[in-house]
Amino acid sequence: MQKKFDWLGVLIAAALALVIVLPLLVVAIWAFTEVWRYPSLLPQQWGTRFWGQTLARADVWEAIWLSIRLSLTVTLLSAVICLPAAYAFARMNFPGKNIFFLSFLASHAFPKFGLLVAIAGIFLGLGLVSNFWGVVLIQLVGTLMMMIWIPVAAFQNIDRRMEEAARDAGAGPLRVFLQISLPQAAPTIFAALLLTFVGTFYETEGAWLIGAPQIRTMPVLMITFINNQIVVQYGAVLSVLLWIPSFVALLFARRLVGSSSFARGFGV
Amino acid sequence: MSAADIKAAKTHGKRNGRGLVGLLLVAVPVGLLAWLIIFPIFNALWRTMVVDGHLALDTYAFFFTDAYSLKNLWLTLWVTAVCAALLMAICLPIALYLRFAKSRVASIVQGLTLFPLFVPSVILAYALIRTIGPNGAVDILLVNMGLPKIHSPYLTPMGPIIGLVWDNIPLTVLLLVAGLGAVSDNAVDAARDAGAGKLAVFHHVILPQIGNSILVVLSFTVLGIFSAFTFPYVLGPASPEMMGPFMQRTFSQVLDTRMAMTQAVVTFAICAVFGAFYVRSIARGQKERR
Repeated sequence: MQKKFDWLGVLIAAALALVIVLPLLVVAIWAFTEVWRYPSLLPQQWGTRFWGQTLARADVWEAIWLSIRLSLTVTLLSAVICLPAAYAFARMNFPGKNIFFLSFLASHAFPKFGLLVAIAGIFLGLGLVSNFWGVVLIQLVGTLMMMIWIPVAAFQNIDRRMEEAARDAGAGPLRVFLQISLPQAAPTIFAALLLTFVGTFYETEGAWLIGAPQIRTMPVLMITFINNQIVVQYGAVLSVLLWIPSFVALLFARRLVGSSSFARGFGV
Repeated sequence: MSAADIKAAKTHGKRNGRGLVGLLLVAVPVGLLAWLIIFPIFNALWRTMVVDGHLALDTYAFFFTDAYSLKNLWLTLWVTAVCAALLMAICLPIALYLRFAKSRVASIVQGLTLFPLFVPSVILAYALIRTIGPNGAVDILLVNMGLPKIHSPYLTPMGPIIGLVWDNIPLTVLLLVAGLGAVSDNAVDAARDAGAGKLAVFHHVILPQIGNSILVVLSFTVLGIFSAFTFPYVLGPASPEMMGPFMQRTFSQVLDTRMAMTQAVVTFAICAVFGAFYVRSIARGQKERR
């Protein structure tokens, strides 16, 4: 067996660590910096003064609440619409099933921002631009694929023998679904819900094109902070705050993302 | 779906007449998809090509004769090509390493490559400004090592290229590793036993088997980068600009909806080949798994 030290792996890991971690480390340092004069290697004064200032801003709180409200609404609607459909795709037979299923995966076959502009042209006529529900709709469409194909895999992997055993023991279809099928699919469905929530929370392009200037989500606010470059630390503190949902997703969804079923959803 | 699944579903469906229930359950998402993906594309085509019931290609004529629009299109094509080439050059060696490595370091490499998936693009854009921007971390490090300052890529076409490559590493590696999963260890071992070097094994054994994955990755990269918005808008030059910010400005600031839609249709047309390839590949993959 191979006993050699994995030099190549260490080299790749070191290069990746430098490229991937350095920018994020810089932001983390800025978030806890009060004075950092160029070209000093490290800040002259550390502190959390700018956390207080950032969190005292009304626009930050408005954006946080709006983003949470928007993401919850989209995730909930997406679950209500997509989970029954995912169940149908996984377990039922109906005319046009394969074409419909493929059409969800094929929704990625268009350049996204071009599609958003085409949709925005329609929304303009419907009064859905600069409107909460307009942004909900645009983000809902973005979640369809994820909320269908991950749960489809979950529903397909349910152990049929356990369902049959429960049915033989006299359980009705609803009871079988609630007590046997759903608990088995639940962890994967939870991961899909989490990824949908996080994906919506960070969605920038639709929120910017359809929502601006009235609907200012956290990422949209972040873009205005970047453009205006007021105080470096505001952006840094907002970045750290903004990253929390993603960190939670990282903890829960890493295994799913690393699995082959995730890549399969993209057509490989 | 396996053949057994489909057979079971078929008999189940026939027995209970659940075809209609299935259709009803998928009706809302399918309807949404039709309303918000299919309809806007045809609507954009119609609104940009037909005025008062007559064929009118004036916006297209303007786009393809306007020097600024063409410069933007050219920049977008260039950035997309450079990103695709860079992603392949960076991710293929990492994917090959991950496919064949057996050491513990491999899981660290995998974790690091997946990590950008959990970093939202706005945060990354901001982080890159602080890192590669003027007086950023890279500048600070170079000056402290006694080296000259760099010419910052921020607000040049290299800005979005760096951001887009960083952002696309995880998906590219994931798709390539998934594709490499089809390459059997036996085939590689047999080639090695026959005396083939690493390059020969890659060229004659691995490459023919992952051709489809590479094309899917390229399609995905082209579709994603061609109409990218956040990185080009935040890190890229103001003029010429990539198609994403150009469309946004035409729609929201110039308030010329028809022209913005024309630009969108141009992006659809250019990406159509990659989109069609992507769909074909998914359909084939689904069929093979059945």
